[in-house]
Amino acid sequence: MRLVATGAQDSLSGLDDNARFRQIVLPHIDDAYRLANWLTGNRADAEDVVQDASLRAFRAIREFAGGSPRSWLLSIVRNTAYSWLRKNRPAAVVTVEDLEAVELEQAKPGDSNGDTPEAALIAKVDADRLRRAIAALPTPFRETLVLRDIEGLDYREIADATEVPIGTVMSRLARARRRLIESIGKDR
Amino acid sequence: MTRSRPDDKAVLLVHAYVDGELDPANALGIAQQMSAEPALTAECERVKALQRLIQERLPRDKAPAGLHARIEASVGGIKWPRMQPSWRALAASIALTAMVASGSTWLMVGPQQQTMVADALVSDHIRALMAAEPVDVASSNRHTVKPWFNGRIPSSPRVVDLAKQDFPLVGGRIDVVGQTPVSTLVYRHAKHLISLTAMPAKSLFDLDRSPRSVNGYNVLHWIENGVSYWAISDLAAKELENFARLFRTSQTEL
Repeated sequence: MRLVATGAQDSLSGLDDNARFRQIVLPHIDDAYRLANWLTGNRADAEDVVQDASLRAFRAIREFAGGSPRSWLLSIVRNTAYSWLRKNRPAAVVTVEDLEAVELEQAKPGDSNGDTPEAALIAKVDADRLRRAIAALPTPFRETLVLRDIEGLDYREIADATEVPIGTVMSRLARARRRLIESIGKDR
Repeated sequence: MTRSRPDDKAVLLVHAYVDGELDPANALGIAQQMSAEPALTAECERVKALQRLIQERLPRDKAPAGLHARIEASVGGIKWPRMQPSWRALAASIALTAMVASGSTWLMVGPQQQTMVADALVSDHIRALMAAEPVDVASSNRHTVKPWFNGRIPSSPRVVDLAKQDFPLVGGRIDVVGQTPVSTLVYRHAKHLISLTAMPAKSLFDLDRSPRSVNGYNVLHWIENGVSYWAISDLAAKELENFARLFRTSQTEL
């Protein structure tokens, strides 16, 4: 005889779509909302995006093939946020050319000279300044940083969610953090 | 002093090191490089300071109250009961798991190994909470705890000191998953204990890495450097995640 107390997350096979949705998507709505908020920059938009993304997730629930449900949902949220922004706020969408410009600018020699604050200084930054500095990051850097340092996804999950190679995740993350550190160190 | 550019390979490796994304060989390499180059050490400290800042100071927004309900309504209008285990259910499950735990051996079969590993470890955690001592070796000194595992299991686990981050080490014990002895470290946070089990990563057990809750205990699972980690506690999920992050980002002194 085998007695095993059942967990909240049982095997997903054999469940109907609603039950799967409840187990895969609903536990992560807060994370979805946070990511949408960082990507759209606005709470009302974030709600719309999460609702839209949840519907997409529900329709695609049978395609969920294991792995982390949270990173699966977050990648749907991310894609939904971009299509939502393209439709409703085309000016806010960063084009590939913009990104290239950013990367060129970043690659200039003399980049990040001087004013990088040290760890002790970083520890003193208040929440408001931090939030503004994250919000000011170019989108590809911001989403990478948010997925890693706020949502705790690993590099592989971020690469899958943002559809870039791991090497790109690494360089975006290093640049995002460097920019963030420099900008929170300024205007003190 | 020349400042390193953010896309230098060494800088990228420092970031990946802090994120726990390096295999042991690369981690060792970059640790050595850091000890030779103060600029890299400073980068490492900055990244850690930034992560701490984000974890500790940035408020983690919750979705607005009505959003869950609207989403539930939009996918079919079914009202699902909230999954909150009642005290009665919890008490019953403790009795049940204690009974199971006292049995001799059990087999792991079927497609539910992942859930069963979590269940087994939660049982071990509960049993430890109910025992006189939650650990077999009680010490807050990682230099005492780590060697204790030598000779008891094939490889002793990574032990880090998180006392300064308010997660002091309580000690260690051997748990058994299936029929395999595995190492479990116990950390404390306020009045909560955290059992952190390390076992060799096997694809069989490591399909699903989502946080879960078993009978009200939060379970976090991650894989790092070929080791599968399971953290179990009645801490809030957010705090358990914070613990996991601290454990993953803390440097092991070499």
